[in-house]
Amino acid sequence: MGAYSTISFDAPKCDGCNDCMLACAQAKSGTDEIARSRIEVLKSNGSFELAMCRQCGDPRCVQNCPAAALEKNDATGVIDWDETKCVDCLLCTVGCTYAGIAYDRAAGHVTKCDLCDGDPACVKACKPGALRYVTTARIYNEVGQLEDLFAPGLSGCQGCNTELLMRHTLRRVGPDTVLATPPGCVPGMGSVGYNGQTGTKVPVFHPLLTNTASMLAGVRRFYKRKGRDVTAMALAGDGGTADVGFQSLSGAAERGEEILYITVDNEGYMNTGMQRSGCTPYGAWTSTTPVGERGQGKTQDAKNMPLVMMMHNCAYVATASTGFMEDLYEKLDRAIAASKRGFAYLHVYSPCTTGWRFPSQQNIEVARKAVETNFVVLWEFDPKNGVRLTRPVDHPLPLAEYVTMMGKFRHLSGEQLEHIQASVDKHAAFISRLAGERDAQMIRHLAANRTAA
Amino acid sequence: MSAVLKPRSRVVVCDANEAAAWGVALSRVDMVAVYPITPQSSLVEFLAKFIVDGTLSAELVDVEGEHSVMSVLQGAALAGARTYTATSGPGLAFMFEPYLRAPGLRLPLVMSIVTRDTLTPQCVWGGHQDAMSVREVGWIQIYCESAQEVLDTVIMAYRIAEHPEVMLPVNVCHDGNYLSFAVSRVELPAQDAVDAFLGDKDVNWHAALDPDRPMAVDPLTGGSGGAGPRTFTRYRQGHCNGMQRALEVISEVHEDWEKHVGRRFAPLVEAYRMDGAEHALVTIGSMTGAAKDAIDEARARGEKVGLVKVKTYRPFPGATVIGALDGVKAIGVVDRSVSFGWNCGPVYQDVMTSLALARSAVPALSFIGGLAGADLTIGHFHRAIGEVAAVARGKAEPGRTLWLNEAD
Repeated sequence: MGAYSTISFDAPKCDGCNDCMLACAQAKSGTDEIARSRIEVLKSNGSFELAMCRQCGDPRCVQNCPAAALEKNDATGVIDWDETKCVDCLLCTVGCTYAGIAYDRAAGHVTKCDLCDGDPACVKACKPGALRYVTTARIYNEVGQLEDLFAPGLSGCQGCNTELLMRHTLRRVGPDTVLATPPGCVPGMGSVGYNGQTGTKVPVFHPLLTNTASMLAGVRRFYKRKGRDVTAMALAGDGGTADVGFQSLSGAAERGEEILYITVDNEGYMNTGMQRSGCTPYGAWTSTTPVGERGQGKTQDAKNMPLVMMMHNCAYVATASTGFMEDLYEKLDRAIAASKRGFAYLHVYSPCTTGWRFPSQQNIEVARKAVETNFVVLWEFDPKNGVRLTRPVDHPLPLAEYVTMMGKFRHLSGEQLEHIQASVDKHAAFISRLAGERDAQMIRHLAANRTAA
Repeated sequence: MSAVLKPRSRVVVCDANEAAAWGVALSRVDMVAVYPITPQSSLVEFLAKFIVDGTLSAELVDVEGEHSVMSVLQGAALAGARTYTATSGPGLAFMFEPYLRAPGLRLPLVMSIVTRDTLTPQCVWGGHQDAMSVREVGWIQIYCESAQEVLDTVIMAYRIAEHPEVMLPVNVCHDGNYLSFAVSRVELPAQDAVDAFLGDKDVNWHAALDPDRPMAVDPLTGGSGGAGPRTFTRYRQGHCNGMQRALEVISEVHEDWEKHVGRRFAPLVEAYRMDGAEHALVTIGSMTGAAKDAIDEARARGEKVGLVKVKTYRPFPGATVIGALDGVKAIGVVDRSVSFGWNCGPVYQDVMTSLALARSAVPALSFIGGLAGADLTIGHFHRAIGEVAAVARGKAEPGRTLWLNEAD
């Protein structure tokens, strides 16, 4: 069974206007009585909760129904209700913990959300954008059948974002791959294994921390010479990328070596004990930028690796986040294709529960908040089309909402926070400017000026 | 060195850098990664030209430094390629990290070291300090005396490196300046003779990065007990066994080369005019030419002196060296580099160790000369012969290390 589209609810965005309930009542019951809506927004402790059918994968309502009137539809994912079979016993309403199916007195039977055949009225009516018709499940449908090419039981930290990223990316890239995992979290959790047991189902190796790109260049060049299309792929940390491995990376990018190079940026040497790297942001605590009487974390901004790589005129460069998997998958597909004609560089921001000091279940939340505050800007570049913002944030949240999520910024002074906010704003503006001035436009502009002169 | 020219072999006049490049071309390598450095530069220029004009069909990778040179070639070798590169002095120092790793991965790489003295003092001239500094890291090291020997040895190096019981990288060392830029007559063996000698290339036995047979290359080992350190120890032992087996393989390969091409070089150690010698010099590399002239002149005077040249330095053919020196009463070892901490030359140290293992008490002297391009002339060797002769006759005791160029 695959996964399906569903309606998601972002409580902080909800303003309690009830437009969704009205839209549902109108669409499904032909009335303005919101009591007859199949969606209900409830106020609870100053926030909002959603009472609505979640179209569960293992639905209790279906189990409880003695008449087989409820059934999970394998094609659409919707739990269908069959009026002709229903005996109005209401056992289904007892089973559902989401209050997703309820008795409609006016109709004289239970009603529930049917997703409006894929075009939900409530979502269209939601002005603040709290309700979204989420199609992320498309990813699961597309790649769910692909083999996870890492062995189960890798020894990552609990809630490790990097492991999530590894499994997603390699599964997509596929088995005809030679994978380089330089020293860091990836081999630390067992990609190359220990004492002869491997953690990966494709050929995998430890390059040195310093030579990932050049070793892969040799692999790819030789296979290409032999007429074999093998993807040369790196899953490298930010330290091996931006610091000690930078020379070989820059050289390979300049030569246009055909490599899929994915940087897992957790903003430091997290595997070795959380030391500072060139990608560690300003103000961050690390074990080598400790906080004390004479120090308040790192005193320099992070090296902006994706921009540095863009200036190498790579075949493809993009930033990505596991908080936005749809965006990540689209970029991964483009990066894989680009790696067959040149250097493809994907820089993935990867929150580290252990090193950044936040609860492990908040990984995706932290990743999302980074984007929503513009701390991370999602963009892509290719030489023909220039820079494109793939998920522009028009109304960024204040940076404080991001930095307060984690311990590594706990000590930040107001001044330090201002510094980061200013850098974030400047960077977002810079990327927007790059994205606004597409090469094609600029070249036409220059050509026109030349003609005029 | 009797030349039996095979059909279609050619004679050229070239230096050892070009000779090495010809050896590479004749070996039909798949990939060459290059980064220029004095005095190696012309070697990689020749190779680039060979590739561009079609003399050699190979992938040319112009990288941004020696560290990547060694890395690109390791990637290619793990995918199954026959590879080549060359470097010198600071370039070797810069590639040290991946260089150190090649023998442990058992990759049959061949790399020339066009020897150069190490910094500092700043210097671009020849000397063996670069190659000697990496003598203990697990590569096979072979030192050549002439441009012809360089060409032939580069080709033989592939047979040695790729031998299934060796599977180790080989450095073919030739002296910067004295060999790299000095031209001489060189015979190019016929391509079909080289093809027949090298056989089908199959260098992808041990560790491979191939999606058709996925494996994890170089998983983590070690620890305080159990499988980890046992695995590591087994790798080290295997490496040492490969090194020792190489002593036999190098000899076999030299014999086979003679069968195919008609030229013979002493594979491990060359004994020169050792018949009835009462004392002897031990040399390595290009200095041997001037040393042999000095030996000839001393023999002409009636002095019973001979010479032993070390060609294969790692693995060190200790027993062969001692065998060649059998019967002498004193030995003088001339090094073009220094063993810091022992205040002598590294070859001297190895000879002393070999003597000790053979329970021999023959006295030996350490001479150091030819550093940073300094010329080692026939005169210098006469001085060395004189010092050794005095010890052989019991008129002197071997004492401090003698620096042959200190008074030049």
